[in-house]
Amino acid sequence: MAETDSESHFEEERLHHSHAGRYVWVWAALMILTGLTYWLSRFHFPGGWAVTVALVIASAKGTLVALFFMHLWDQRGANRLVFVTSLVFVALLVGLTIADNATRFPLANPPGSLGGWPASSMPQGGMPPAGEAR
Amino acid sequence: MPASTTHVAHHFESLEKQTHAARLGMWLFLATEVLLFTALFAAYAVYRYLYSPTFAEASRSLTTWIGAVNTLVLVTSSLTVAMGLNAVMQGKPRRTAVLFGVSVLLALVFLGFKYVEYSHHFQTGELPGKYYHGEVQGAGASLFYTLYFLITGLHGIHVVIGMCVLAVVGTLSWMGRFGAEYHTPVELAGLYWHLVDLIWIFVFPLIYLI
Repeated sequence: MAETDSESHFEEERLHHSHAGRYVWVWAALMILTGLTYWLSRFHFPGGWAVTVALVIASAKGTLVALFFMHLWDQRGANRLVFVTSLVFVALLVGLTIADNATRFPLANPPGSLGGWPASSMPQGGMPPAGEAR
Repeated sequence: MPASTTHVAHHFESLEKQTHAARLGMWLFLATEVLLFTALFAAYAVYRYLYSPTFAEASRSLTTWIGAVNTLVLVTSSLTVAMGLNAVMQGKPRRTAVLFGVSVLLALVFLGFKYVEYSHHFQTGELPGKYYHGEVQGAGASLFYTLYFLITGLHGIHVVIGMCVLAVVGTLSWMGRFGAEYHTPVELAGLYWHLVDLIWIFVFPLIYLI
């Protein structure tokens, strides 16, 4: 493992420099953001906005914890890489599973055949009725 | 440096390299923890998508302020853990022990609130799977509580494990095993606790708010 001078110097500095002030600021921000997301949840945003707002605030809080409480801000690349890689897999696992469920439709076989719509429910010359889609 | 030679295992060149290796190993472990919870979050996301109205109604039936207060409690316990690492780095391991003790007490407050919630669910029949006989009806209502208990239960187990780790490391710190030179266990215990906090930061909006 190649160790550069600046990194060693940085680690050395971490040993003697107090981070107490930084921790208190991060804690204050986390408390305020928790209050904000609780307050905003009382309003009924249309569509998917409630989810979006809640998750954006949660991500902001999570970033603060990972960067400052967990010291990713002043640590070297390998630890960051491991954590960011895990987040990539979080996005893949949640994103692809949702995308799968959101894009399912009954098989497009001919009406009345196996995997197709029952012959009677097929409207004249068109797509199956939307209500049958789930 | 006498302190650094006594703590270095023979297969490491220096304390610094050993610390880097320990830290990287901890981060790899934390990544597997993230993926463990992600499996449950993915299941939650799918069923919330498929049964949105029922999940929204069931979510509203939870006591939101308890979730919010528990978030504040965990965030504060993370601060005391971070301050504990700061104290040992300044050569004050006894202060670290006290701060970790405060964190353990805050974790007990968190579990106390969870106990209040769980006993309420048990009384009103909001139980997982086939045992569900709560007020919210419709397909997906029992699924919501199945996932609720799985996610908060797994997180609760992590809180208990984290409390034990903090108690042990705090005790060792009080006994003077760590100092400004060597404090890797204090740092790694802190990392674990911050991850428990980090996961709750996402559990809270997903289960209580949306």
